[in-house]
Amino acid sequence: MSRLLDDASLSWRSGPCLPAWQSLSAALQRQGDCLGLRHADGAADGPALLLTHPDLQPLQTRFAGLPALPLELSSEFTLQATCGLMSVHGRASGRLQALGVNYLATLNAALAWQGCLAAAVGQLRGGHFRDVTLQPAAGALLSIGQYLAGATAPEDAEHLLPGSDDALARPPFLSADGLLFELETLDSLPWRRFWNALGISDALAGKAWQRFLLRYARAVAPMPAECLDALASLPLARIQAIASDSGVALVPVRDPAQRRADLDYPASAAAPWQLQRGPVGKPASAAAPAQRPLQGIRVLESCRRIQGPLAGHLLALLGAEVIRLEPPGGDPLRNMPPCADGCSVRFDALNHLKDVREVDIKSAAGRAEIHELCRDADVFLHNWAPGKAAELRLDAADLHATRPSLVHAYAGGWGDAAVSAPGTDFTVQAWSGVASRIAAASGTRGGTLFTALDVLGGVISAQGICAALLDRELHGHGSQVHSSLLGAADLLLDTGSGETAPALLQGLFRTADGVLALDCQTRQQHQALARLLGGNADACSLEVQLARQGTAHWVDACLAAGIPASTAHEDLALLGADPRLAPSLAHRAYRSVQSPWSFR
Amino acid sequence: MSVSVMVPTLLRPLTDGQKKVDAQGETVRHIIDHLDSRYPGIKARLVHEDEVHRFVNIYVNDDDIRFAAGLATRTAPGDKLTVLPAVAGG
Repeated sequence: MSRLLDDASLSWRSGPCLPAWQSLSAALQRQGDCLGLRHADGAADGPALLLTHPDLQPLQTRFAGLPALPLELSSEFTLQATCGLMSVHGRASGRLQALGVNYLATLNAALAWQGCLAAAVGQLRGGHFRDVTLQPAAGALLSIGQYLAGATAPEDAEHLLPGSDDALARPPFLSADGLLFELETLDSLPWRRFWNALGISDALAGKAWQRFLLRYARAVAPMPAECLDALASLPLARIQAIASDSGVALVPVRDPAQRRADLDYPASAAAPWQLQRGPVGKPASAAAPAQRPLQGIRVLESCRRIQGPLAGHLLALLGAEVIRLEPPGGDPLRNMPPCADGCSVRFDALNHLKDVREVDIKSAAGRAEIHELCRDADVFLHNWAPGKAAELRLDAADLHATRPSLVHAYAGGWGDAAVSAPGTDFTVQAWSGVASRIAAASGTRGGTLFTALDVLGGVISAQGICAALLDRELHGHGSQVHSSLLGAADLLLDTGSGETAPALLQGLFRTADGVLALDCQTRQQHQALARLLGGNADACSLEVQLARQGTAHWVDACLAAGIPASTAHEDLALLGADPRLAPSLAHRAYRSVQSPWSFR
Repeated sequence: MSVSVMVPTLLRPLTDGQKKVDAQGETVRHIIDHLDSRYPGIKARLVHEDEVHRFVNIYVNDDDIRFAAGLATRTAPGDKLTVLPAVAGG
């Protein structure tokens, strides 16, 4: 039950590989396989993706660069540098640096498929969508949209630069026997008990708690040295026992090979979603979508934090009407500073396109209201803790009784893995091998405090929902579709999603006024760089020559010479001042990211 | 001397837009009661059934009162009380 689109009539052709970014093409192909689509090799000059079906006009999806940031000279490395990922990852990893995984390839392949599937839904509902364009740079900016909002808030803006925090003082933690592990709890009481049992004072445990809580928002988490030393003096088995007694979850940092040996891995690696078809049902035809393909689709979203709300945001960018169900008094994340116009900018970045309805889902009246709202809804999306939907009688079977054609979507943490810990970004990074892989690439002992999996999980969830909507249009039934952070992690590390070939010369270099990202992948590019530098591109010449001019000069010169290069932004507050990125950013009270898609 | 209270953005409509206000009291509970007498409605945003709201953290100077005596945490003249919304998990 892993294939989302088990329809022999649906097939796709892939276009030529992007010259500087082959992992993006590989990820596109891998995800097409995951979706269950028949693949045929495409024409040499075709679009990146051509979807065909007897009931569809052929649908073309292309990648596009920004006007001054050509796609053929963009790579995973240069886009991570210029779109702020390296900056956010660098906050707690010691320096400005890449994640070391094909993050933007996986993310943008998912966004490309999502746009394509949404356009197919739009076409089947009477719209005229034939061409989809995705800008990977905008996809990259979307992934750090919350951090960008925090850094550009009009008041109390966060100013967190790479290397500003001690890379050895952040989670994951280290035991006396040299084992790395994550701790997780969503409540201060177990945390306090845990540290007290280790002999740490309340005052210090409280300081550690504040920093621990804020690591999701700020991507830094400097733990007090006393806490780290207390753990480093005990073997893991003892720490595990104390954690267990205290009610704190402990998850070991495992390597990818350990993850691949898990019983649940093969199914998760085959596809990051699970689709189960529900009752027969197709909504009555409504007005055809005109500008964006999901216009007329109504989504009910009952989600907290990042993964689920981001999925809802992407569906809203595709034109869906998204109604956010919030508890009475509103989502407490609305209050998280920094704020503008009475709302957390971080929250606003993910939720400003949605309508809000306050509903007490714990009350009978609230649940009745949700059933009522479902009568006109196409999608119900939640990210509640496992088992809660059934407990509330808001599971797929319950809501399908009200609305047979509903796509009931769950953006969860662990999928089918039997892990007894909250499924959060950092516990899943640890368990899946993502933390280990990023640590090896970054020269640190942990993964990234950039919420990489929450973001990718949100994209994967929205992609699964679009596939389920297409399945509904083609076959006329509701469904439930599950995705998880762990499924997103498995996809990220999937070798079929493209191993990065070693570049001839890849790195970050100081210029007269900033940092330049260079990614020479061919001998010709390397020779062109040598010519730019006066004949030699060895390490010494690079350092001396590049420091003589500003970054903008070198980016212009490199791109003109056919060398993949970009500005490596250290300070997110300056992203908005980069004319190359300006087309993808909008002015709200803070810098907000535009839709990465356009449709014709 | 009184305790200075740093007011988060979302509560400033209740304090006439002031970021910092003064309040009297020997414990956090007294301080909040005193604040509520001057800025009605603020207590309900911070406290529910005599406990600090789950998604609100209150600090006396730099110390989280959940890791001290909660609302009974003592305050001294010149202390700084900070209210910060915080939600666990990502």
